[in-house]
Amino acid sequence: MWVWCQLCGFYVGSSKTYSLFTFTPYSLLMNAKRLETSRLFHRFGFGPRPGEYAQAIADGVSPTRTKFLTVPAVDAGASAIKEPEITDLGRRPAPNTAEVVPFAIAMRYQSEQIVLWSLDRMALSDHGLTERMTWFWHGHWATSIQKLNYALPMYNQNKTLRTHALGSFNAMTKAMLNDGALQFWLDGQDSTLKAPNENLGRELMELFVLGVNRYSEEDVKAVARVLTGYQVDRSSGAVTINQNRRDSKPVLLLGTTSTFTGDSLADFLIARDDCATFIAERLWYRFISSNETMPQSFGAKAGFANGSIAGAVSAMASDAVMSNESYSMVKSPVEWFISACRALELTPSQLKTPGQLINQLDKLGQVPFSPPNVGGWPAAEAWLSSATAQYRIAFATWLLKQSSLRALNEIPEPSRVLKSADWLGIPEWSPRTQAALRRSSSNPQQFALLALCSPEFIVSA
Amino acid sequence: MDTLTRRKFLQLTSGAVAVGATAPLLSMGEIAQAAIDRPLPAGTPILVVITLYGGNDGLNTVIPFTDPIYFSSRPQISYKAETLLPLDAELALNPAMKGVKALWDQKKVAIIRGVGYPDPDRSHFSSMAKWQTASPARHINTGWLGRWVDSQGEDPMLAISLGSVLPPMLAGAKRSGSALPIGGLVIPKGALATECLQLSKPARRDTKLMAAAATSMRNLFSVSTNVQPILRAPAPVSPDLPTTNGGNAGGDSNLAQQLDVVAKLIAAGSPTKIWSVSLGGFDTHANEANAQAALLGVVSDSLSRFMGQLKATTRSNDVTIMVYSEFGRRVVGNGSEGTDHGTSGPMFLIGNSVKGGFYGEQPSLKNLIKGDLAVTTDFRDVYASVLEKVLKSPADPTIGKWGGRVNCFA
Repeated sequence: MWVWCQLCGFYVGSSKTYSLFTFTPYSLLMNAKRLETSRLFHRFGFGPRPGEYAQAIADGVSPTRTKFLTVPAVDAGASAIKEPEITDLGRRPAPNTAEVVPFAIAMRYQSEQIVLWSLDRMALSDHGLTERMTWFWHGHWATSIQKLNYALPMYNQNKTLRTHALGSFNAMTKAMLNDGALQFWLDGQDSTLKAPNENLGRELMELFVLGVNRYSEEDVKAVARVLTGYQVDRSSGAVTINQNRRDSKPVLLLGTTSTFTGDSLADFLIARDDCATFIAERLWYRFISSNETMPQSFGAKAGFANGSIAGAVSAMASDAVMSNESYSMVKSPVEWFISACRALELTPSQLKTPGQLINQLDKLGQVPFSPPNVGGWPAAEAWLSSATAQYRIAFATWLLKQSSLRALNEIPEPSRVLKSADWLGIPEWSPRTQAALRRSSSNPQQFALLALCSPEFIVSA
Repeated sequence: MDTLTRRKFLQLTSGAVAVGATAPLLSMGEIAQAAIDRPLPAGTPILVVITLYGGNDGLNTVIPFTDPIYFSSRPQISYKAETLLPLDAELALNPAMKGVKALWDQKKVAIIRGVGYPDPDRSHFSSMAKWQTASPARHINTGWLGRWVDSQGEDPMLAISLGSVLPPMLAGAKRSGSALPIGGLVIPKGALATECLQLSKPARRDTKLMAAAATSMRNLFSVSTNVQPILRAPAPVSPDLPTTNGGNAGGDSNLAQQLDVVAKLIAAGSPTKIWSVSLGGFDTHANEANAQAALLGVVSDSLSRFMGQLKATTRSNDVTIMVYSEFGRRVVGNGSEGTDHGTSGPMFLIGNSVKGGFYGEQPSLKNLIKGDLAVTTDFRDVYASVLEKVLKSPADPTIGKWGGRVNCFA
């Protein structure tokens, strides 16, 4: 027996049609429109604010996609966020002096401020894609404040990534080679004509531009020579090139002998077909699927022509894979937290206290500006351990205590289970989760906790 | 087993039954079984894997202290011969590794030299993936111990990694090891617990990842009810070390904390055959000498403390420790008083059932391969031996047909 389900907009099977709306509506196939719209919100942004998902379903997939891909001149939500005051703190004063205590306090304060600022931008921006791409690039050019210690170069790097987030990959790569935080993180300042250090050169090819095994060990040595001579002022992040420490002789790189600068090296590497393949692979891994192989037909590679990041992202958003049910994605802890903030109308920096917030994120294993290593954060099952299950429950409990639950409370209790899928931008609740939510309908705190910790919210369908 | 810990373990279990009674997926019998019926049988071998992330410089760990090429290759970061801890006429341990040296003297340490795999990969991520999947030639999605977990009956307590993120090594195709954070697990109680367990049920159209999310919730309950009270108990005291406030001094490092938890759970009879702990920071491109010595000191001190703690239990003969890193480092220093990514390095196997001594050939400093140490032992030789001799399982299903073995078990 087939009946039209008003909630999911699809024919559903039911053995008891007369009791459909008290029974469990559950389609045999996931509604493609709800799925694709949900993916636009959770992968190309940081999840819907109350009402946005239902509106997008009413608007249709194509207009919603266009809206996501069109970057407005001004993002009112994001521009309302005050820039943090991040200053050059200079050299660390000598131990046991009067100056060292205020220095250490300022250092810790600034490090906390940039984390809160970046989380606020994700949670409050009206147009999610720019922040989403900035977040993607932060994981791509993964630099950690744990080595640098100073907030200013990290703050500047984040602004650089935002500037180029949907721009030219050539311009981004050139800017990153002159980025003090990245240079210091990968020992660029120690790499000289006399003793080239391979760290930055290797990661440039392996993790940033070409992908592993698309070059030889000789190429690593060649790139290391090209990238000699950079010097970094650690506290400000200012980068200069010392010509005396620079190896300016020609190198044989990927079959071509030439004299390179940082800029021409970036152009040379990005022009290779392997670069387009690699960027498509990385976008695939972070936006479409971290555990399934990228099909040859994936449109992002062709979209990346001439280093256009917007082209690649736009092709990805329009690709047929967007409505393929096989490609679910686990939300990383920051993505999960921000989508909860948006649904709960919370501002990260206003949570009590910022220290506790950062601690919660740290327990889940993801604090902005502190990736575990240059490969960025893990993905997929790595975020699904029994330990993260526990921390997620504790984190959600902590968040919900600070929320009025306005949007959830406005849904009348009898329709709370089904309508809450729209609130959170979820294509559909499974019968399993519906059962848990139904028994919690009159207890909004518990209801919200279960919804935020459900497999359907932790994983983007 | 330490009777006090054992009693606490059982007390905990009877408290946990209340949760089980309302929990559809976690039966009372299952919890009771974990704690009462199936503590690890006495004498069951236990493997503790210690991963050193970042590429530990093997040449400054097990040091060829009579070879002039060692000193001339890395003048800024070589150790003075007289500071070292000699193991034989040619090799010595890093001066920070006094604890391991003492265990070596008791013939409990096997050092396998020149371990790696064909066509060494100098990427941290690729190389660590090769070690953890035991598949150097092609990328696969399961870890070698995860595949072993697959071959066993389902038990979330079987293989446990300390820390909140599961290493790929323990990921199987059907099942995976569990992750346990240092601070222990706090699980919801009452009605909320019932509904959380409801969320952990499978749903017909769950994607693989949604099913994994549901499983992680289920494992939270079954792992935490079993281990939580034990984690609150003090760690076993190592009779070999000085004590402060009832515990051993020097247990502040993260590795020591992880091993403390492991020691407690082993003492309590946790039905766990594989433990995974780790220490990071070995990527010493610059200013290596101090940084690496500090880390090796942590490893060595933590190991001797852990071995001492085991002495206080009935399990001290059952435990074998395996220490590895994703690669060694270049022979020649890089000018930043550090070393770049290299190839082979030593592995350590430690335990009462280990035949102490050297295995595998020491890579020659005269015949380098493109400036790097040769690989003289394939890590699969070690894995195969560990699977057979420690886990008492055939090696083939886990690492494929593989002929090499390292005969370092008594």
